[in-house]
Amino acid sequence: MTRGSLGDVILKIDDVWLSFGGVKAIQGVSFDVREHEIRAIIGPNGAGKSSMLNVINGVYHPQQGRITFRGKVRSSMDPHDAAAQGFGRTFQSLALFKGMSVLDNIMTGRNLRMRTGILSQAVHLGFARREELRHREFVEHIIDFLEIQAYRKTPVGRLPYGLQKRVDLARALAMEPKILLLDEPMAGMNLEEKQDMSRFVLDVNEEFGTTIVLIEHDMGVVMDISDRVVVLDYGRKIGDGTPDEVRSNEQVIAAYLGVAH
Amino acid sequence: MDQVLQSMQKNWPVLLLLVALAIGAAAPLAFGLSAPGFYVEVLLGGLMSGVMYSLVALGFVLIFKASGVFNFAQGAMVLFAALAVARIAEVVPLPVAFVATIFIMAVLAWVIERLVLRHLVNQDAVVLLMATLGVTYFLDGFGQTIWGSDIYKIETGLPKTPVMILESVFEGGILVNTEDLVAAAIAALLVLALALFFQKTPTGRALRAVADDHQAAQSIGIPLNRIWVIVWTVAGFVALVAGVIWGSKLGVQFSLSLIALKALPVVILGGFTSVPGAILGGLIIGVGEKFAEVFLGPIAVKQFDLAGGGIENWFAYVLALLFLLVRPEGLFGEKHIDRV
Repeated sequence: MTRGSLGDVILKIDDVWLSFGGVKAIQGVSFDVREHEIRAIIGPNGAGKSSMLNVINGVYHPQQGRITFRGKVRSSMDPHDAAAQGFGRTFQSLALFKGMSVLDNIMTGRNLRMRTGILSQAVHLGFARREELRHREFVEHIIDFLEIQAYRKTPVGRLPYGLQKRVDLARALAMEPKILLLDEPMAGMNLEEKQDMSRFVLDVNEEFGTTIVLIEHDMGVVMDISDRVVVLDYGRKIGDGTPDEVRSNEQVIAAYLGVAH
Repeated sequence: MDQVLQSMQKNWPVLLLLVALAIGAAAPLAFGLSAPGFYVEVLLGGLMSGVMYSLVALGFVLIFKASGVFNFAQGAMVLFAALAVARIAEVVPLPVAFVATIFIMAVLAWVIERLVLRHLVNQDAVVLLMATLGVTYFLDGFGQTIWGSDIYKIETGLPKTPVMILESVFEGGILVNTEDLVAAAIAALLVLALALFFQKTPTGRALRAVADDHQAAQSIGIPLNRIWVIVWTVAGFVALVAGVIWGSKLGVQFSLSLIALKALPVVILGGFTSVPGAILGGLIIGVGEKFAEVFLGPIAVKQFDLAGGGIENWFAYVLALLFLLVRPEGLFGEKHIDRV
């Protein structure tokens, strides 16, 4: 698939409203995500980006609105259901299992695909072992892909920040998600790490064909790698389109740079 | 080398405490307070009760790690499981009763998760502690309602007669109980099996993941509810083993549930989140209190003309208090640095 030609709509957000008490985090936002695309949600601080991601991920339940995934209207779900349906995600403030090795962290991503029961695992039966090996193979592929071979056995807590972010991505990829949600993948990174991460996001999109929804505070990087961009401000959508369209949108410019009053 | 020195400088109160413990342990031999044979006998006795403390502490640690809940009901679970085994074994052979009780503990775990934990997720630690206190009293009473409140026996069929071993090494030999030795071996095996289960199986990995970060675990599709049922079942199983071993030794009676109070200083000493800590902590306290009772007691009588008894009852708590002062997270616990 060449970049630029987009697939069918896989996820559709319709008029979603979300508030916490009196605070209106998301106010009537609608947009769609097409298969195989990289879709960015950007906006200044407090625009409702994280809330949006958490709605898609099932952490928050919108008071109003409809979410359609692969042609089916989604009922209210928790993050575990979302994961089972094919939503993988990474976290802005890393949520890795710090005491566990890189390999173990990524292997947990295969949890949903493990079929053997707890008892056969406990006695280490042949098929339980074969299953483990099969998943291990897949995980090794991801480890190679993200170039973290050297850190397989290292406890994640000891890795530098940029590498931890990569392990987070690897764990989400191990789930073979239909949609990969990236929560500020470049936050807190230096320029070099940002470039690495951009390359990995693009490679994942190309190699695995994964649909990616990413939210980002930093406009620059996002514009380079996204197919389409949604811009939020104070919980409302103020722009939607290709990076070029968004860049020339006056409301967007005002939101980011401020306008003279 | 520099690192070692540095960490020694930082941790000197802990080191001091450990050194004091070691000196206290070696003193009876060094000062000729006891014959070597008797010393080893006391040591073995301490290790054996220590193993039992470890088992109960292990139940605490498992549940605390996976759900952040301090399960006060662990002792009540020991009593409940022991009662179930004792009464069921009156009508069927012991192994059948044992397996039946595993199922009972699994059902209990499921009920506790369904009725209590699920609704209290993300509440304050105090709320959860109160909830497990409620579970404790419910289990204590409910066990009596179903199984009765007399003292019951569990017949494991192991010989209770003491035997003399190592007569050639020590003068007078060493007196040990076969049953105690088997019990210690079983406890050690159980601990080893649990460690392997946690390290080597996918379910164990999922358990560790949940223990590490709830939110992340959920987002990759690990079902918290099921994990909690598994953890409580495993803790129930540990309680069952502890209950059978203690029950066969002392009889199944209400005082079994009080063993939880002895496991409390053990987890403080070893760290709330550490399996090795629970094991080592149990052994230190088991041996420590036996030594204190046997060797310190007579000194208190002879030198200071005191009554000298009861040291076994308070020693563990004083040790735990000292540890709280110098190392609140325990020997192997994780240090929590909260953002203020």
